[in-house]
Amino acid sequence: MSQTGLIPSLTTVIAYNNFMQLTKEQNALINSAPEGKPFLCGPSGTGKTTVGVQRMLALLSMGIPASSILILTPQRTLASPYQHALEAKQAYSGSPVTLLTLGGLARRMVGLYWPIINDLAGFKHPNTHPSFLTLESSQYFMAHLVTPLLEKGYFNSIVIERNRLYSQIIDNINKSAIVGFPHTEIGERLKSTWIGDLSQLNVYDNTQDCVNLFRSFCLANNLLDYSLQIELFRNLIWPSEICRYKLFSTYKHIIYDNLEEDPPFAHDILQEWLPNLDSALLIFDEGGGFRRFLGADPNTASNLREHCDKTHTFSQSFTSSKNLQTLNSTIKHLQNRDFDRARQKSLSLETLQETLVVPDDELRFYPQMLDWVVAEVKNLIDSGIPPGEIVILAPFMSDMLRFSLNNRLEKFGIPTRSHRPSRPLRDEPAAQCLLTLTTLAYPQWQMLPSKFTLAYAMMQAIDDLDLVRAQLLVDQAYQKDDSANLLKAFDDFPSLLRERITYRLGAKYKQLRLWLNQTNKEEALDIFLSRLFGEVLSQSGFRFHRDLDSGRVTANLIESVRKFRWAMGETSQDSNFTLGKEYLQMLADGVIAAQYLQSWKQSDQEAVFIAPAYTFLMNNQAVDYQFWLDVSSSGWYVRLEQPLTHPYVLSREWTQGQKWTAEQELAVSQEGLKRLITGLIARCRKRIYLGISGLNENGSDERGLMMRLIQNVFQQSLRVADGG
Amino acid sequence: MEAKQIVLRPSQERIIAYTSGKMGIAAVPGSGKTWTLSMLAAKLILSGALGMDQEVLVVTLVNSAVDNFSQRISERLKESGLLPGMSYRVRTLHGLAHDIVRERPDLAGLSNDFNIIDERGANSIKTNVAETFLHIHPEYFDRYLKDDLSDYQREKIHRVDLLKLTNVITNDFIRSAKDNQLSPQDLRSALDKTGGSLPLVEMGVQLYEDYQQALNYRGGVDFDDLIRLALQCLRYDPELVTNLQNRWPYILEDEAQDSSHLQQEILSLLSGENGNWVRVGDPNQAIYETFTTADPRLLRDFLNRADVISEDLPESGRSTRSIISLANYLIDWTRAEHFNESIRSALSLPHIKPTSKSDPQPNPDDCPEAIHFIEQKLSPGEEINFVVNNVQEWLTDHPNETVAILVPRNTRGFEVVDLLKQKGVEVIDGLLNSATSTRLSAGAIANILRYLSDPQSAAKLATAFKVWRRADRSDAEAKPVMEKAGKLIKKCSRVEDYLWPSEGTNWLSSLELEAENPLIYEYLVNFREVIQRWQKGICLPIDQLILTIAQDLFLDPTELAMAHKLAVTLRQMQNSHPDWQLPELGEELKVIAKNERRFLGFSEDETGFNPDKYKGQVVVATMHKAKGLEWDKVYLMAVNNYNFPSGNEYDDYYSEKWFIKNELNLEAEALAQLNTLVSPDIHDLYKEGDASLKARLEYIRERLRLLYVGITRARKALTITWNTGRRGDSVETIPLVALRTFWKGLGDK
Repeated sequence: MSQTGLIPSLTTVIAYNNFMQLTKEQNALINSAPEGKPFLCGPSGTGKTTVGVQRMLALLSMGIPASSILILTPQRTLASPYQHALEAKQAYSGSPVTLLTLGGLARRMVGLYWPIINDLAGFKHPNTHPSFLTLESSQYFMAHLVTPLLEKGYFNSIVIERNRLYSQIIDNINKSAIVGFPHTEIGERLKSTWIGDLSQLNVYDNTQDCVNLFRSFCLANNLLDYSLQIELFRNLIWPSEICRYKLFSTYKHIIYDNLEEDPPFAHDILQEWLPNLDSALLIFDEGGGFRRFLGADPNTASNLREHCDKTHTFSQSFTSSKNLQTLNSTIKHLQNRDFDRARQKSLSLETLQETLVVPDDELRFYPQMLDWVVAEVKNLIDSGIPPGEIVILAPFMSDMLRFSLNNRLEKFGIPTRSHRPSRPLRDEPAAQCLLTLTTLAYPQWQMLPSKFTLAYAMMQAIDDLDLVRAQLLVDQAYQKDDSANLLKAFDDFPSLLRERITYRLGAKYKQLRLWLNQTNKEEALDIFLSRLFGEVLSQSGFRFHRDLDSGRVTANLIESVRKFRWAMGETSQDSNFTLGKEYLQMLADGVIAAQYLQSWKQSDQEAVFIAPAYTFLMNNQAVDYQFWLDVSSSGWYVRLEQPLTHPYVLSREWTQGQKWTAEQELAVSQEGLKRLITGLIARCRKRIYLGISGLNENGSDERGLMMRLIQNVFQQSLRVADGG
Repeated sequence: MEAKQIVLRPSQERIIAYTSGKMGIAAVPGSGKTWTLSMLAAKLILSGALGMDQEVLVVTLVNSAVDNFSQRISERLKESGLLPGMSYRVRTLHGLAHDIVRERPDLAGLSNDFNIIDERGANSIKTNVAETFLHIHPEYFDRYLKDDLSDYQREKIHRVDLLKLTNVITNDFIRSAKDNQLSPQDLRSALDKTGGSLPLVEMGVQLYEDYQQALNYRGGVDFDDLIRLALQCLRYDPELVTNLQNRWPYILEDEAQDSSHLQQEILSLLSGENGNWVRVGDPNQAIYETFTTADPRLLRDFLNRADVISEDLPESGRSTRSIISLANYLIDWTRAEHFNESIRSALSLPHIKPTSKSDPQPNPDDCPEAIHFIEQKLSPGEEINFVVNNVQEWLTDHPNETVAILVPRNTRGFEVVDLLKQKGVEVIDGLLNSATSTRLSAGAIANILRYLSDPQSAAKLATAFKVWRRADRSDAEAKPVMEKAGKLIKKCSRVEDYLWPSEGTNWLSSLELEAENPLIYEYLVNFREVIQRWQKGICLPIDQLILTIAQDLFLDPTELAMAHKLAVTLRQMQNSHPDWQLPELGEELKVIAKNERRFLGFSEDETGFNPDKYKGQVVVATMHKAKGLEWDKVYLMAVNNYNFPSGNEYDDYYSEKWFIKNELNLEAEALAQLNTLVSPDIHDLYKEGDASLKARLEYIRERLRLLYVGITRARKALTITWNTGRRGDSVETIPLVALRTFWKGLGDK
């Protein structure tokens, strides 16, 4: 499979087409005339996306212009099978098929139609071009607006990190936009459901104040955050005749996959769009809805079937083994508390132990569990299983956990890949180095580094400079109190020290020092960084020269700074000088994380995939073997607790005034767990390994619902074995 | 599979026969209450009384007991063919509170991954806020200072003593406010309504506000918050209570004498009005090291409730009959003869009964000659000398037995340890320092980080080397080689020439060791590789750096798990202090290594302390820390009227500071002012001094129970000494005189 160089979901599709027969139902949907609007639903692994991809190709074969086909998915990774199928199909006529998310479409349309809506939207400067905010720049502005309020006592009764506070307020505004209620109702909605301490009501009032403030600020400064992009599109652009004409005449055929992962806003738009299309195929994964916390609403998605011609349901799994399918139904019965049917449906103990593998010995500690997982992965690979058929999943995948697993697997020469956000920039050694050197170039910012930080930066910058010599160098060179001459010239070092540091490394220091001294102090930070990288650090003798990863980090950093500068440019009269300082402070405070999704590497395909469970689910690929780490953790199903927002209370199905109690919380947890387990098993072909340790990473003994459920599964099989 | 037959005493049988309702059990020291409760839990599980998602909830006091319980229940279930780990949950109150809060963190105003600020973290914040307060209000305590203090004394008090005092008051005040579910906002608004007549409360509220703000800033809660918030969640959401009642249809509570009213309320809510709740405890062992709202009366009241079946576990096979008779006499004397009548309730029945001869745990053979009361008047130094000499002699005759020297306070313990070490006696001071495994793992990594923070230092590099080869310390042959190699490194004047040699400057080659001492050469080559790897890792985030180091340092799963936990902790610390770098993080690890910081999961209690592992060695501990443990021979030191006052006029009290006027105990006065502030009764007026007197009585009672606990730690032999105190005016405490007289009387008979 790896030879294709495609991501597995596509390889699955192609393999399927090459080696397996499409079913009658699939063929009928794929090859129907370009006019129907079917709604296709079914659990994961039943060949729905295959139909979507093949339908797209069939439409093209029928001579439908590619430019009139729109493929909608809730996130870009879910469009990969379509993307790759298009790449594999050598050529087709006209402009390309459009692959978009509805959010992306909204943004594109707002940019395009700004001149016709600007004076309707309440902006203070309708005639100037707006700035589109990223999540980061939104966070920055929110921090800017909220910090003075914190000092006045806002939010003082809750325990929350600052960054999360900002992001949750932003999340609220976005929810109001994608669910479709006025942003001025957020506070009241949250308050009406609250049963706890009354002081929390103030917190919701505080939240509402911040929301209002942020919105006013955006309108006053022509800033378009995500919520405004959605609202402008929904309320002004979409209803406009010009826009409709443009959209309706451009796109005649829509294939909308995984619509259960989109929010109601997307479903509303599609509902109104459907009558104006020649054909549509709506694909709904019955066990999905994993992006609930981002506003995904499977209910409004499912309602779209009412507006389609016919609903087609696929139920035959092409993925899981019979045993895994049986296991899945035992679990479903247990979750429905139908113990009799669970027992009837149970696998024999022996088969269960082959399908669901647990450690033979009770493992007390978390690292022992990791060792066990790695040993089992090694056994599989030694027995000839390709690493690409193995996935290691955890409820959360911290950097440290990934590091621990990578280290262990590396020892056995087992390749790994992880589709993960990069570390926050402040944790990337290359970024730390760049920023430390920046503070030296701009001593007026008064952000001078400590000796330690500078020594690390030097070590990171100059190739072959070891820690001991870096420290020697900095001890001798760094004159923190002399801002005119922060770094002493190498030639002024005592000769003994020059010898110890070596003249070869000293020459590189000289080069760097000279460059820093000649900096243009008025230059924008991103330009400064580009030059620092291009003119010095990427040159031979400097570490970035041979470290490609550093180049990637540098590019990310420069992009982040540049976006920040552009966003700030609209509101700030500050010079480049202070903007740069502001950026550094925001980065140090963690307001700006500048995390980027690393792109897939083709060569990575034949590697063990390490990921959080939800990332794996959203990648929608099946594998032969899954490892679930830390089965006892409640992180598998507990919704992310956000004291300032609430995905369910702010959803469309929530009845105003209803109270949020433990009953709802439990129901949500159980529902989440059901969705997760069903989704994972549906994406596994052969066997699941369960990593269980007595104590979790923090040394406490956790007994989450998943663990209890698994114990029940075993108990059912035990009872069957006992004839009970 | 058939379960192993277990032999039960009649009193235990009655308890194991329990099926439902509320039951209270008064147990005596050594009666096997933990064992009995474990058997009851296993029986309930095996009886099929639990539904699919249900568990027996066992609540106990310390982490070591959690493990102990889990292990016993698990073994019993395995014997019966059930999956271990299922159908029960053992928790400390903090663990339980954590579980509850995690069910509804929103109701507690928390996110899912809230931080728990441990005791040390909390104490350091408290110290900071206290310091700031005193800095802003240097004269605040002047109204309480004695008038006749000299300028020199005043200066010293302001410089040293007031900070300590403010610290203690801050701690007690905040804990008490939290225990009463009072927020800083509640107190501030109550305070605004009163005049300025409660100065200690004004200070307390200010400190509480500052402290809570600092916790919020760190996105964390302390241990007291955890419990307070758990109750809050239960009170706000009746459906949560119903869910949890359904999950835990049986609650078994150990060490119930140490239950605070919050614990009692939480468990009461969880068991429900008609629920199943079994409480076991020994009111006579209710002793507390620091401020607590626990009260043995709560358990006594429970035992007397009409809806509670009350049982005793009076038999104990731990001690000889002589020791049992002393403990029982202390109960009787206190109840009948203590000259201060309000103290007589300090100890209660039942008496300890020896076990029967057929019992699986028979009492040791009696040996009245092994009981010694040292009547002699000794200075503190003389007392230590006496005990150390005595224990040395005893060890010579009893090399395979266990012995402990128990002291009232840590500082005294360290003095004893020092002298024992000087005399070459093997000492176990883990109970004074605790957390041996944490200490060693953290210490090892801290030493490496210290070197990495100062990479030019040959001395620190040599220490790092010794840490790396630390297994050699206990190997007589390997040790000198390791020491020699360490010395060589220490002498290396240019570390870079060893670690990162450039052409012509290779320190290791210049030593010409390869032929002369190939073993040391090999060590140094290998160590260089390790250090190079660690130095390259210096740019990694701290958690990953620690894991990298740990992989080279540790093999043992416990050590690796500890390193993992240390990595997580330091990472969190770095997140809350982004400016911290290796030196600061290394310092933090040093603190952990010194064991000022406790870990929730891997704390000192976690693995439990087993005195039987230390035969022929001397364990030094405080009497408080000795609870739950037993030794063949026990020394009880410093049993004078300062450590064990009785309410005589000449008695001094630890909490009444010498420089405070009118013998006021300001900790107690601050709490009394707090009670007045929030009391719904307008006649509940604060009267200065009342609380100090009341606190004396509480202290006297607690100290009597402490003496009882001390005595009942001994299996066969007991020696009790006293000293004349720092100022030379302390006397033998009255209960000790009573015991000695009783013992002499028995001997005379």
